[in-house]
Amino acid sequence: MTERVAIVGVAQTRFAPKRSDVNYGEMAYEAISQVLKDTGLALPEDIDSAISCSHDIWDGQTISDIGITDVIGGHLRAEEKMAMDGSTAVFYGAVGILSGEYSCTLIMAHTKMSQTNRHIVNNVAFDPIYTRMLGFDFTSAAALQARRYMYKYGITREDAARVVVKNLANAKRNPCASQSGDFTVADVLSSPAVAPPLHKLDIAPDADGAVALILASEERARKITDKPVWILGIGTCYDAHYLGDRDLADTFALEKAAGRAYAMAGIKNPRRSVDLAEVGDEFSYQELLWLEGLGLCDRGEAGRFTASGATAIGGKLPVNPSGGLLSGVPANVAGLNRVAEAALQLRGEAGDRQVRGANIAVAQGHTGFCGQHQCVVVLGN
Amino acid sequence: MATKDKEWISIPMTVDVPYRFAAGGYMTKCLTELRDNGKIFAVECPKCKRVQLPPRVVCAECHVKNEKWVELPHEGTLMNFTIMYLPLTDPTTGKPHEPPFVYGSVRLDGATSVLDHMVEVEPDMDKVWVGMRCRLVLRPKEERIGDLSDIRYIEPLPGQKKPQTKSR
Repeated sequence: MTERVAIVGVAQTRFAPKRSDVNYGEMAYEAISQVLKDTGLALPEDIDSAISCSHDIWDGQTISDIGITDVIGGHLRAEEKMAMDGSTAVFYGAVGILSGEYSCTLIMAHTKMSQTNRHIVNNVAFDPIYTRMLGFDFTSAAALQARRYMYKYGITREDAARVVVKNLANAKRNPCASQSGDFTVADVLSSPAVAPPLHKLDIAPDADGAVALILASEERARKITDKPVWILGIGTCYDAHYLGDRDLADTFALEKAAGRAYAMAGIKNPRRSVDLAEVGDEFSYQELLWLEGLGLCDRGEAGRFTASGATAIGGKLPVNPSGGLLSGVPANVAGLNRVAEAALQLRGEAGDRQVRGANIAVAQGHTGFCGQHQCVVVLGN
Repeated sequence: MATKDKEWISIPMTVDVPYRFAAGGYMTKCLTELRDNGKIFAVECPKCKRVQLPPRVVCAECHVKNEKWVELPHEGTLMNFTIMYLPLTDPTTGKPHEPPFVYGSVRLDGATSVLDHMVEVEPDMDKVWVGMRCRLVLRPKEERIGDLSDIRYIEPLPGQKKPQTKSR
């Protein structure tokens, strides 16, 4: 990119199974007011555009942003909504700044999964004529993907369970995490079967929460912070909607999104350049699958890579030092939380989960069942 | 004095929005052939020759219009599956599928894409596997209504045994 866009501030609510103490506007405001305070910016004068990210069907309201234009600074001003994963809101925000139209953009993702039933909501993502009536949801689709990945690449349930053990232990260091703890591979394997090979602990739990983040042009960023985190590269890509069009063990959309992001960042060998990754582990096996799709290890090798300790905090390539989605991050917020966590790491503000000496981080978000849409953000400090 | 827990009010509400989704030209042909003749029709891309089921207007890879119809056999190979322990809702009835039950994806012989459906098999890891040969079981002709439920389920072809599992 010739012009540069920086993340100049990040704030997150704590994530919890249920936030009955706040409505969604109040929840969003927790993150927004904190990021304004941290950056010393004020609404409306310092921020010229806002993007919110959630989904109408999760919010039970068309259109999910109409009730929060006040808290996000959209009153009698522009406010746009991204009805996809929050990582894509970063893409959209960066495009707005690179166009020259805006210089400072507030991005906020919010969802209260507790207010409805994820299985019924997710069923509506499937085509109404030829898949929906089977009752499919994201978990059943993911179970098919997990089975296919295990079959094709010899990944085992133990390989996937090691991701859960690592991420829930990392989450103990993250004050925002909804769940954390010391678990063993045996605990994961013996947790209740939900949709084998997926058991309860392989599945990211429901959560409520919000994340806010501010993007700025280079000129503005230099004035706002002495620790800007630069968006070095960003790419998105779609795969087929119909599951049966894909071999679910393949990661073509992610490879293309990552390829674009790496090329933009001038990264030729991501294994050498990338210091840490925050990826969308909505299900345990997905952390392995996405690591391969991101080119951070060979196809079929992510199980061994994880077992070697390479992805632990202090390993060669720490992955999800935050605890990832398995520690409980709401749908839609998931990818913005990946970007926010990566940015906190590069600012040296990740507290007890801080990875040492990280200069380049990759954040990955996905929308839809089995990672249909992929967004990859490469960040540097 | 004991402090009372703070009260937070939430309002229960079911948002029940009726829809009627048009199947469109391609799926109407597919579903009427299924209903009236018990046949499975897919489309073949004129360029890359991928045989796509369910049929749709444009080949995603070549972006050319699909116009050639191909009849597929009712037999194929199971590509993946899961045993479901969640009582997922059947949105056409609002009632749950009774767990455990098996979802699977069958590649009908000659097709490029894969069809997802219920698999009528004991929910037992020794009775279902990737690579299992299967066939579609349709509703009797007089009971067919012109939607996906005219395919009742996928069932294993008789006389097969699960191969020894590969270890890595």
